[in-house]
Amino acid sequence: MFKNLITESTAKSPWLFHINSGSCNGCDIELVAVLTPRYDAERFGFKLAGSPRHADIVVVSGPLTQQSLPRTLRAISQVPEPRCIVTIGSCPQSGNVFKGSYSVMAPLSKYVHVDVAVAGCTPKPEAIMDGLVQATEILKEKRKAWLEAKKNGLKDGPKAETEQEVPAAEDVPASGEEVQQ
Amino acid sequence: MAIVYSSLVYLGYILIFPGFLFCFVAGMLITGIDRKIVAKMQKRVGPPILQPMYDFFKLMGKETIIPAAANKTVFLAAPIVGLAAMVVIQLFIPVISTPILYGTADLIVILYLLLIPALAEIYGGSASGSPYAGVGLSREMVTIIACELPLVLIFLSVAKTVGNAMGTGLCFSLSDIAAYQAANGSLMLKASMIPAAIAMLLVIPGETGNHPFDAAEAETEICEGMLAEYSGAPLGIYKLTHAIKTFTLTALFVALFLGGIGTGIVLLDALIEFAICVVLTIIFISLVHAVTARLKIEQLFKYYWTAVSTIALISLVLAWFGM
Ligand code: SF4
Repeated sequence: MFKNLITESTAKSPWLFHINSGSCNGCDIELVAVLTPRYDAERFGFKLAGSPRHADIVVVSGPLTQQSLPRTLRAISQVPEPRCIVTIGSCPQSGNVFKGSYSVMAPLSKYVHVDVAVAGCTPKPEAIMDGLVQATEILKEKRKAWLEAKKNGLKDGPKAETEQEVPAAEDVPASGEEVQQ
Repeated sequence: MAIVYSSLVYLGYILIFPGFLFCFVAGMLITGIDRKIVAKMQKRVGPPILQPMYDFFKLMGKETIIPAAANKTVFLAAPIVGLAAMVVIQLFIPVISTPILYGTADLIVILYLLLIPALAEIYGGSASGSPYAGVGLSREMVTIIACELPLVLIFLSVAKTVGNAMGTGLCFSLSDIAAYQAANGSLMLKASMIPAAIAMLLVIPGETGNHPFDAAEAETEICEGMLAEYSGAPLGIYKLTHAIKTFTLTALFVALFLGGIGTGIVLLDALIEFAICVVLTIIFISLVHAVTARLKIEQLFKYYWTAVSTIALISLVLAWFGM
């Protein structure tokens, strides 16, 4: 009984942790728009958490500069399972206008498994909201997979799995042509 | 046989009513209503009223990370100690006029028990080895000290008023206070007690660490302070303790100042009590939350030790002269 309740609640109470990895601040402002009264993400239970330990969904914006990449990865690894990673904007997907710079390390999917990628520069608040709601469904699936693995005697099975998972080809956009016309 | 029966009854008190289960539901609902009302005041749709329950159950299913620098035993035991103390307080508070556990000095016991959840949080935070927790716990200590003085003054003035009437000097027993109010009408109706009641209502948001008195848990500033390193089930238990604390303090207000309005049927009384608690929470926690910005810790301290303490002191002086 409690297991089902917990699985259902997992999708209903996703707390966000936002990492700015060198973003131009455009995406951050749109994320704030999602959380403030006009779009009010709290009606789906979203809440901005101050510490990565409280988070369920990690929101990454920015093109991952050399300095911020190790810190971003470290913060992501502090988030307890089940967790989801959502990138907003084209920057973490491809590097966007910053691509080619010596200090830009995008895409993020080279280093960790990205669950949802919201493209756009900047994405509309509606698009971000859609991405976040999709992430809640993925969270639920992850929780189920974790329960399944526990039943099969794997103690921290799904954790090892997410770390090794190679990102699928369609997750990584082909070097951002649409931006560099 | 009788021993088995009475211990079963006590177990029921602790686990079901008015202990854990009742507190759980009441606390969660009150927090949910609070969040919804704040959202409405900010012209938002707001989360569903059951949102704190979803949060709690979700946290139960999350991984619990124990930081390498933490002291594991204290880190994990602190939330449970805090929750246990919170539930025990509820046993001492009469449901409007029907006390469950009682003694000669309930109020003093409650004063100490109210400290335990905050102290547990301080212990847990300092055991987690996080610098954010360090900042948070020093602020939490200041908050405790700030709220304690007005709370003691309020308790003293109530004790003196009831004690005068009973001819026993000071009366710290909540069951006697309930009996006095059942016979003479609520203390809220006595002119000398009105300042104390107002002071108590001003103390509630400070004690529960609600906006604008949440310097110790400022999540935008110091990552929820002492909770920065907590994750999973222990974090959920802390959230539950906070939720119950809101209910407990409003219930304590009802017991101290609004007693004697009950019907004598315990379940109906519990419902009335809950309804009054919701109203008090909306007016004195949600409304204040929606219209104020966070106070700095020294402003908070000054506010409680000057303004609120003075109001409480007026009541105490009036009570001392038998008015
Ligand atoms: S995607 Fe566009 S708006 Fe967002 S951080 Fe990159 S450049 Fe800025």
